[in-house]
Amino acid sequence: MTDRATFLAAVRSTPRGDDPGQPDRLHAPDAPTELRDGEDRFDRLLHECALNSTVVHRVPEDSVAATILAILDEADAQSVALTEDLGARRQALTDACAAAGRDAAAYADVAPNRARAGALDATITGCAAAVAATGSIITSAAGAGRAGALIAPTHICVVDRDQVVTGLHELFDGSVLADVGSLLALQSGPSRSADIEKVLILGVHGPGNVHLVLVDG
Amino acid sequence: MSVREDIGGSPLPDGWAAPAHQPGAFELPTTTFEERAHRTMARPFARRAIAGATDHAVSLTQARFADVDHETLRDQGRQIRAHAIANLPDYLEQWIANAEQNGTTVYFAADEGEARRIIAGICVDENIASVVKSKSMASEEVALNSALEGVGVDVVETDLGEFVVQAMGDRPGHVIAPILHRTKDEVHELFSKMAGRDLPNEAEELTAFARAGLRHAFLTADGGITGGNFLIAETGEVMLVTNEGNGRLTSSVPRVHIALVGIEKVIPRRRDLAVLLPLLTGHGTGQQITTYVSITGGPRRDAEPDGPEQTHVVLLDAGRSALLGGEFEEALHCIRCGACQNVCPVYRQVGGHAYGWVYGGPIGAVLTPLFRGQAEGGEVAQATTLCGACDDICPVRIPLHDLLLGLRRQRDEQGEVPRREQMAFAVWGAVWSRPWLYRMTTAVGRGSLGLLARDGVVSSRVPGLRRWTDGRNLVLERRRR
Repeated sequence: MTDRATFLAAVRSTPRGDDPGQPDRLHAPDAPTELRDGEDRFDRLLHECALNSTVVHRVPEDSVAATILAILDEADAQSVALTEDLGARRQALTDACAAAGRDAAAYADVAPNRARAGALDATITGCAAAVAATGSIITSAAGAGRAGALIAPTHICVVDRDQVVTGLHELFDGSVLADVGSLLALQSGPSRSADIEKVLILGVHGPGNVHLVLVDG
Repeated sequence: MSVREDIGGSPLPDGWAAPAHQPGAFELPTTTFEERAHRTMARPFARRAIAGATDHAVSLTQARFADVDHETLRDQGRQIRAHAIANLPDYLEQWIANAEQNGTTVYFAADEGEARRIIAGICVDENIASVVKSKSMASEEVALNSALEGVGVDVVETDLGEFVVQAMGDRPGHVIAPILHRTKDEVHELFSKMAGRDLPNEAEELTAFARAGLRHAFLTADGGITGGNFLIAETGEVMLVTNEGNGRLTSSVPRVHIALVGIEKVIPRRRDLAVLLPLLTGHGTGQQITTYVSITGGPRRDAEPDGPEQTHVVLLDAGRSALLGGEFEEALHCIRCGACQNVCPVYRQVGGHAYGWVYGGPIGAVLTPLFRGQAEGGEVAQATTLCGACDDICPVRIPLHDLLLGLRRQRDEQGEVPRREQMAFAVWGAVWSRPWLYRMTTAVGRGSLGLLARDGVVSSRVPGLRRWTDGRNLVLERRRR
């Protein structure tokens, strides 16, 4: 087997090509993944979510639990797991789900058993951020687990107003992302494929049903 | 699949059996471009589907960038890739150090055989009997699946298109849309055979059938194998994009994650993704962003609820380092979006299989001779019109047209141009560089074709022109009166 030194020597042995340097300013204000000048981030988030088939519920804090229960009802979801990144809301939401007759558990308790995780009807997560220009939910392994956002057919994500960033530049460049652990995950709508004759199918390996609960006010 | 029992939430579909086919072999050394092209062109659906799908992709890409500063974005994309490749040794070492810090085990594969042996070795050492695999062109390059099956590992491709490719014993026909060249009816027939019953012939039902079986595979597999779209030097992370979610599941659910990634995929920083990600997805599928972007940094950490116990990344050279600093270095800038295929007038007629190896279209016509050598791959660099449409669409401005010309010259220098072709060009060059001979030959040609034409159209089989007139009419320009 080739060892590290030999392998890297092959890469180093060649003369170097022209180096144009790093771009001075990576921010591309009118990339498709950034806001336009003067655009409202919440308007854009709602617009992009509508395009990528994420259902947005813009609700005040005291309606979060009721909103989630209504989504679970509609999806006929019995078995539900809640992730760490819900923070202070997790216990209250777990209790509300249980009171409504759902099997609600902490995702950390379900995940070690793959069969059990695979049988979940819904997961409820928080997020590390949401990106307005792309309609994306950002989760971390530390917060929502590696598979917490896509293991079940329904994903419900609770997003606080101040977690919404403008575009990919702000997401990757700023101090938005602290230690994300072993996965930084972006998801933008339901799982999809158009492999068979370009017919769009939602819910292939990940959820077909994605809800963003935007806590506003 | 070795484990056949039902798993909660994912009952196996009736009659489900894992595909047992070997992947189709590379055809490169044994058939000619023309033979392979004719095979695709003889299938009317494939021709229609490839033309329709590529048109669709091009229009989505154009629409995606219609009202933004696309050209500046492409400039920045080119600059990031050129900077990364010019400093590849440093960024690669930085990536390795950070990946190891994350708990990733890094391996070094100088060639395809070594990549196969390393990954097969990991599977044997870690008692991996079954793996799920997320679409990876690097794994196609090294023909990984058959190597794994050789050591008794069950391999299941989990991208819907790749799953069909695997079950048919086919090869992917496009870097982004592997079954572009296949019909729904063909998928229906395949899945019905697997199911042992007639499934509804609808994309939704067919997808649901595959999903149920693949779900079982995800939940039982010992290992997951992926490629990687980028290696991020400053964090030691591997980035993966998928729309189905199979990349995330493959790299997160089984207890061992193995990624096989070409060394040229290194980029300096996460923030470079703000430029490269919209370029990749916008040019690949026309999407603003793919549904799932997964930036993985090693195995599960202590406080995390799930994730693999081990992460192994195999860095693949296989011809890449030899390109550094040379005439063809810019081929390493490629981010594998497939846009050049979509606009290529040759690819659009003949599809991906005609190129005989892993990559089709203009980038395939460049990479095949570079990675396989001129003797084996030189022919496909001729299969271009040099129209330059690929240069115009490339998100990182690779001068594909110049690279193709360079490869044609190199083929001649290496003595790989067939003698007949050399002589034909020598004669042509000698004749048409003399104005009076040029005028004479064109006059004679026009006159003799005129005798064969009916109403200005030559449609009969004319000796010497049959390759043209077999497939289409030769319309003679009418003399102005």
